[in-house]
Order: sequence, then structure tokens, then C-alpha cells
Amino acid sequence: MAVNVDNTFDIVIIGAGAVGCAVARELSRFDLKIAVLEKESDVAAGTSGRNSAVVHAGFNNKPGSLMARLCVEGNEGFEQVCAELDVPCKKTGKLIVAFDETDFPGIDKLMENGRKNGVKGLEFVDAQVVRRLEPHVGGIGAMLSPNTAITSPFIYTVALAENACENGVKFFFETQVNGITRQDKLFRLTAGKRHFYSRYVVNSAGLYSDRIASLAGEKGYKIYPCRGEYFILDKRTSQYLSMPVYPVPRPGIGGLGVHLTPTVDGNMLIGPSAEYIKSKSDYSATSSVMEQLFKEAKELLPPLEMKHIIRSYTGIRSKLVGPKTGGFGDFIIEESKAVPGLVNLIGIESPGLTSSVPIGRMVRDIISNKEDLVAKRDFITGRKGITPFRELALEQKEKLIKEFPEYGEIICRCEGITKKEIVEAINNPLGVTTLAGIKYRARPMMGRCQGGYCLTRIVDILKEQKGLEPQQVTLRGSNSRLFTGRVK
Amino acid sequence: METDREIVCIVCPNGCRMKVYIDDRNRVVRVENALCRNGGTYAKKEVQSPERSLTSTVKVTGGALPLVSVRSSKPIPRDKIREAAALLRSLHIQAPVDFHQVLLSDILGTGADIIATRQVLKA
Amino acid sequence: MLINKDLIIIGAGPAGLAAAIEAVKRGIRDVLVLEREPVAGGILNQCIHDGFGLIRFDEALTGPEYAKRFTDEAAEMGIEIITDVMVQEISRDKEVTAISPGGITIYRAKAVILAMGCRERTRGAIGIPGTRPAGVFTAGVAQNLVNIRNVMIGRNIVILGSGDIGLIMARRLTLEGANVLAVIEKLPYSSGLQRNITQCLEDYGIPLLLSHTVTRVEGRERVTAVTVSKVDEKGNTLRGTSEKYKCDTLILSVGLIPENEIALNSGMDMDNTTGGARVDEKLETSIPGVFACGNVLQVHDLADHVSSEGELAAVSAADYIKNYCHKAGESSDTGENCLCSGNDRKIPVTAGSGIRYVLPQAIRPGQAITFSMRVTVPGREKSVLFKSGEKVIKKRKYTALNPAEMLRIELSSKELENISGLEVCIDGN
Repeated sequence: MAVNVDNTFDIVIIGAGAVGCAVARELSRFDLKIAVLEKESDVAAGTSGRNSAVVHAGFNNKPGSLMARLCVEGNEGFEQVCAELDVPCKKTGKLIVAFDETDFPGIDKLMENGRKNGVKGLEFVDAQVVRRLEPHVGGIGAMLSPNTAITSPFIYTVALAENACENGVKFFFETQVNGITRQDKLFRLTAGKRHFYSRYVVNSAGLYSDRIASLAGEKGYKIYPCRGEYFILDKRTSQYLSMPVYPVPRPGIGGLGVHLTPTVDGNMLIGPSAEYIKSKSDYSATSSVMEQLFKEAKELLPPLEMKHIIRSYTGIRSKLVGPKTGGFGDFIIEESKAVPGLVNLIGIESPGLTSSVPIGRMVRDIISNKEDLVAKRDFITGRKGITPFRELALEQKEKLIKEFPEYGEIICRCEGITKKEIVEAINNPLGVTTLAGIKYRARPMMGRCQGGYCLTRIVDILKEQKGLEPQQVTLRGSNSRLFTGRVK
Repeated sequence: METDREIVCIVCPNGCRMKVYIDDRNRVVRVENALCRNGGTYAKKEVQSPERSLTSTVKVTGGALPLVSVRSSKPIPRDKIREAAALLRSLHIQAPVDFHQVLLSDILGTGADIIATRQVLKA
Repeated sequence: MLINKDLIIIGAGPAGLAAAIEAVKRGIRDVLVLEREPVAGGILNQCIHDGFGLIRFDEALTGPEYAKRFTDEAAEMGIEIITDVMVQEISRDKEVTAISPGGITIYRAKAVILAMGCRERTRGAIGIPGTRPAGVFTAGVAQNLVNIRNVMIGRNIVILGSGDIGLIMARRLTLEGANVLAVIEKLPYSSGLQRNITQCLEDYGIPLLLSHTVTRVEGRERVTAVTVSKVDEKGNTLRGTSEKYKCDTLILSVGLIPENEIALNSGMDMDNTTGGARVDEKLETSIPGVFACGNVLQVHDLADHVSSEGELAAVSAADYIKNYCHKAGESSDTGENCLCSGNDRKIPVTAGSGIRYVLPQAIRPGQAITFSMRVTVPGREKSVLFKSGEKVIKKRKYTALNPAEMLRIELSSKELENISGLEVCIDGN
């Protein structure tokens, strides 16, 4: 069944976010020729890399919705996937805190929702238990969700993509699809001067999934971009928080409210705000929101100080409901009726990360309902990530340095990242050599000094490993050049 | 007729804000608020023919480092600094470079040499 | 690997090198300097401008030349400097864990001198709104790229912050053909030295906009523009004062912070204002036998003072090591039982009105002590007062005071006699 021309595939997946990569990995179990086309220079460049990094339990979503079902299913399997793919995941649990009695009905509703959705282990805890669990957080009671976890969405997406890649999926970066037509029985996708042909197109273009559907001939979808801003705090703050802490959601807002989330790396996140914006590419942070965020976070956790902030970032939710309606829509996961062979994944906002693997399985089922899929015998289940040297015991460290002296060269002082880790990140299986790609894979430049110490060294290593001249080094591909060239 | 002008002394980090009185033939008559005598000397120079030291780099080929840091052996007229710096951009030198090695003599006829301020070994 | 040493010095910059040389002069033989860079000299190697050594050598040296004075002397004295090694940890009993391509070594030292220098504040720490494109650098990173690595960082440049490195880079980049549009300073006065404003900005006609800040960064891939707005005394931006500067690069020179990760993790007492350890007149931290000097203790504006602080730390460390041998003996595992320092009654030194911080934070009278401090705001015709209770024990007049310039004032042992506490403050004349 597989076709054997370089630009012809059985399946083209548009978008290398968490969902697109989960779909790619799931389909790579079968004897199919698959390509992933991504307009940015790396995976997880959009919403997948810009969120709270929480593996949700599924109590927020409307009973009976796809969101509820896939989230619960995704949560249950998440640790297993992370174990297979060497992705950090920590089942911290989560608190939804009531600050006064008016919050109790909201908690009751969540408990009820959770029960209907089949979420396990939810319980109401009193102020005393809240204090024991999170001594720095106030509140008069809370709902505890023991199965909520935290992960690294970027590493998760990289891991899915790398595993898919090892199982034969081709990734094309900086490849923006701007035309989809039918030619005989195939789709013809145009990206700049290049063409791709495929029998199926999976539209997992996130914020741009409405545009891709429309290019393929299915009009009528509209994604409303809703921006959320975050702060990342210094690791010193990890002493104040052990699990995600959320306020009780207020009706009408497009998100879950400003919350505090520890990260798997030991930082803390504040955010996100929720603000409908016009442009899908406007990742600007705004001063008014930044001030408000910090104010709300400090109400949740009084010991926080401005000086704990090490940087800010923003993400954009791809919502199917506009500002007038508010709240959440539901995922659309189906083969287009107007355009057979086009599988639409639209409106995949939170809990999209948690649901990504079940979404992959749904796409598989959609295709296997149309034709028989043949499982590969040599499918490789596992994937090995970059070993975080800093987390090893002394004896292990000594052993590794003896074997690879580059482990003895600390390049990023704040995060304790060695040259070996950075070299591995630069030589990643997906072939990404952007500075952001290195940063998110190995964590240099993520600490207090934000690259003040290591940026210059990484420039040297890029030259050493890939022969990149200064003017060829980019932050995120295309024209995001870091330098203009040589001084003299 | 005497005029006065504030000149900040750049000789040392004290950065004295001096009040400098100048006569109608552009001569410094009196200097106030200088913590030391260097201030007066600097003020005279600054009024009549201001000078600056030039510090920059010169490209090194075949060296352990791509550049060697350099300076002028003595201050040069301020209005020649840009031209001198531009000249250094087209200069390059083969490694090794010695400490205080003269890389360019009498730059722009100022009488100042361009000397290396560090050593650069061969790669 | 475990190695015993009398004195470990972390960092081979102007503080560490001066400390090593002084310690050897004081009779300490078994000295080791650990340096993370491939060569000694620290940040001086990238500071190719002149103005170093005016106090110490009465000459205007460039950074590399100033460093060479010390590296040459250290080499002549046979001082051991290990480069390409990163200290990861120092424990309360002065075990120093260091990592290098050769492996992990644990040094057990009788005394340790911290001389790790400082690092730059970043954009995130001050939260500029807007996008996060390529083309935003801190001044020190820009300096390293341009002066050491031969990498040019941009063509049309706006500099936020008028710290000395920012001013120096304004000139440096101009001389390398870039167009520096402006230096923007949030405060109503510059945080750099006046001489640098004259010779780095005024000489080249680069405007210095005081009471302004960058309120927005634009550009999806590379910086395309920044918005600059006026601010009031409280730092709030004033509406209707915004101006857009088209540029491809934003350089931040918004302050330095002691590079204190190791000190923080060791659990020693820190000073929230300086960002360095709390020390006494011997520059000893709350961990007996661990001393701090140079920019890791407090951010200096002159390398000369960094070096002299290194020497003071070395004198104290040498005394500590001599007493340590004498009292606790070579066989003792740690200095915990050693009572040679730290237990005498110390008098706290506090920063009063108009003083941002004063060092040392606690003293034992009985000798002359040099205090270093910074004022909170610029002033003219003011005095620095040292008070014990209500009694003024020293008054020093200044024609001009500037937060950019560290003040160093020595009090004699006589002046410090019979004091119960010490407060330093600013008073009009």
C-alpha cells in the first residue's frame, strides 16, 4: 500500500504540536508512509510549548464531552507513555482552593462533574489538610485531585516526534502549507515552492486548524485566539509549592483562572491570564496583565516576590468559542464530511496535551475504519532522552565523565548543564539546530542568568558541531538571526 | 572676555565636574572643583586639543583567539578616533601576537602606535 | 578524589588573583585557585577599554593589561591555578566540590575565599512587555561576543540602562560601525560613571535619555523596534510620551548581581540588598573560615577596589589558617571546633537614611576598618555620618554623591572605641 516517491505519502499531518506528534507516533506503528509538515522551525512551537504543563484529571470538562472522555483516558495512560519515552512526569496532585464560602458551590460542581466523568480519587479537604499539604497557601478548604500530574510539554512533544521519526515518520520544518487541492485520488499540498502528495491529511494545525480546513475546502470553522501570559519563577520558590494550586473557576472566563504550578524542573509558573486577541501570532506580553498576574499570584501565595521572576512567556489558546459565549467548546475530531480523507482536529485547547495520545488513537480508528492498517513488526516503542547529568549521584557522575569527558564541562552554570548534554541536543534526531531548540531540549539558558554565562559557549559549540557561522545561528529559524556576522 | 564651561574630568573615576574659565583666546585661565592637578592639565587639553585613548581589537589569523585587544600607545586627537578605529577594521595580523607588540606604527600620523594588550598564541 | 589544601580560592579574576598573591606573601604555601574559564583574568579579559589600575598602579591600563599584572606575579610566585573547572558546591565544613573534564574532585580546605564575581540582571527580571525575538542581549554578553569571539550582534542598537558596561558598549559598537540610537535610563540620573558618559556617549553624540524606559519590544523573529516612554519619579510610564525607535538590537545594562549560587546553597547568611554574603571586618562570612571579596561580595565600580578587597580577604584567611593549625591542629577533620574566629562579640553595622547598604555588616572594634557603601540617590554638598546611638563619631563631607560611585571610608580604631552599635547615614551639611 505504501507509495514510494519522495514527496508522496499515505498520510500528511499538518502541525507538529503535541497532538500532531502523538498522531504521528500512533500511526507510525503501522505500515504507512507519513510526513509531518510544520510551519515553525521545531516541534511544540505554538500552544503545545506554551502552557501550564499540567496533566489534567478531567473534572473541569462537561460530562459527555469528548474533552471529558479523552482527558480522563489520557490522564490514566500518561505516566505509561512518559515511562516509554523517557519524559519527566510527576503525579503531584492538585488543589482547587476555596477562599470564602461563595467558592463552595463551585467546588461541589467540580466534584459532581468529576464523578460523572469518571475521575478517580477526588475529595474535599478542610483548611487543616490544605495547610498541611501546602503550608504557604491560604484558603478555607479545597478539592484535592490526586491524579493530576505535571510534565514537560516540550520534552513530551519532542519525545513523541523523535519516536515517530525513528519509526519512519518524516518531519519537515519551516514548511507552511498554503494550498491544498485534489489531484486524482491524492491531496496536493503546496508549501512555498514545494509540493507534497498524500491520501490522507490530518489537520492538527492548532490555532490555524480553521485555515487549513478552509484551504482543503471545508469552510465554516473559526478559531478564536485567546492569549495567556505567564511568569516563570526562580527555583528558590519551589520550597513554597509542591503541587498545582488553582482558584475555583469563575463562570464565563476562557481559562481556568490564574494559578500556580510547580514545574518538573523545580521552577514555578504563574498564570495564565485569559484575553481574546485579534492576531494568532501576537505573543506579546503586556504590562497591565503582567502586573495583574503577579498580584493574583501573591494573593494565592503570599511569600512570592517580584525578584523571583526570571522571565515571562505567553501562549495562545485555540478556542472554538468566542468572547461573547465564553467558557469551553468541545474538541472536533472527525473526518470531514465535505472533504473525505481530511481528518480535522479542531479546537484542541486545554486539556489537549493530556488528551493527545487518545486523540492519536481516535485518528487511527478513523483511518482503520476506512482501510485495514498493517502493524509494523519492528515498531520501536521506547525512546531515550538526554540524561540530566545534574540529577545523578556522585558515583554515576564520575563514571560518566570518565566515559565522556564532555560531561565534565559545565556550560550552563545556573542549571548545571554539561557540554555532553548540549552536544546531544544539537545533534537531535529531528535535525533542529536553533538556539530555542537546544534550550528546550537540554535546558541551558533556562536559569537565573538566562544565558548570560552560556550563550557565548553555545555559539562556540554550534560552530564546532555543525560548522554554523554566527550569521547562521537563529533563535527560532528563518529570519530570527541572533547575530549579523563577524565584527571584522 | 572670560567665559566658563563645565568639563567633567575623565582622567580618573572621580569624574570631577570642573568649572573651567576660558579667555577670549581660548586659553584656560582658572579651573575650579578639581580634586587634583591632573584636572587642570586635562581641562587645558580638552579646551585646546582634546585627546582620547583608542582601544579596540585587531583580527588575528591562525590564532587561539580570533581577535587581539589593542590600544593606542598614547592618546590621539579625539577627532581622529573614528577614522583610526575604521582603519583597524581592515588590519589583520598573523598569530602569534606578543603582549605589547606593535601592530601598526604611527597611526594616522598621530605619533601613536597600536599595540596589543594581550598575547595570542598560535591555534 | 579528595585533596587537602590550606586555602582554596574560587575564581581567578581581579579579586581571586590578588587574594592568592597576598596569601602566599603572608606565608600560606598550599594555595589553589579554581577558575571556570580556560584562562585566568576573569571578566577583565573582555574589558578591553582602559581606566583600570589608576589607584593601584597610577596608570590607565586596559582590562587585559591589568589582569596580566596579576597573572604574571602569580606565575612568578608559582601559584597553582586550575582552569576549566567549575565549583559546584561548598559545604559548611569547607569541602569544595569541583568538576572538570578530568573528573570530580573534592578539596578539603582550611579556609576558602569566594571570588566568583558577578553576573548581569536580565530582561525577565525586569519584565519588559512585548515579544521575545532574537536581538536582545545583556551588555556583558554583547561585550564578550564583540571583543573576544568576533561576533557582531547588530546594526541599529538601543541600549537600556546606563550602567558602565552599557556606556562602554555604546562606544565600542559605534567604533565597530553600528548605529547606537540612544541610551535609555529609567532613573533621573545615570548609574554609570560620569567619565564614561563623557567619553562614550557625548564624544559620539549618542543621546542619554534620563527618566525614560523601554515599554515595549516589537518583532516576531528579530527585534524590529522598541518603544521608549518617559517615566515619573515613581517609575510609572507617562501617557502620550511614547516614541518608537526602529532598531534590530536591544542591549540591557540594567545592573549586576553577585554570582552567588554556591554561597546560597551553602546556607551562609546573605545580605538581601547587596546580594552577597554578610561579612565582618575580616570579610569572613557566617561560615567560619569562608571569606568573600570582590564582586561576589558587593558589586564594585573599580577593579582596583576589587583587588584590595581580595587582599584583605587573604590577610584574614592567612590569619585564620595560622590560628587554625595552632589551635585545632592538622589532624582535626573540620574547623567546627576551632574557636579562632566568629565567637567574639560583633557590633552590627546598619545602613540608615540615604545609604543603600554598608559593608561590613558587623564588626569587632579594635582596629582601623574601611567601610564601603553606596548612597540611595545623588546629592550635592552632603555628609556621611557614622553614629553610635545618637553620637556622631565620624563625619565626612562630599561635594557630590552618586549611587554609581562606591564610597570607601576608613575609621580608626580610636574612632571605633566604645561604640555599642554603628549606623551610617546621610546628612545635609
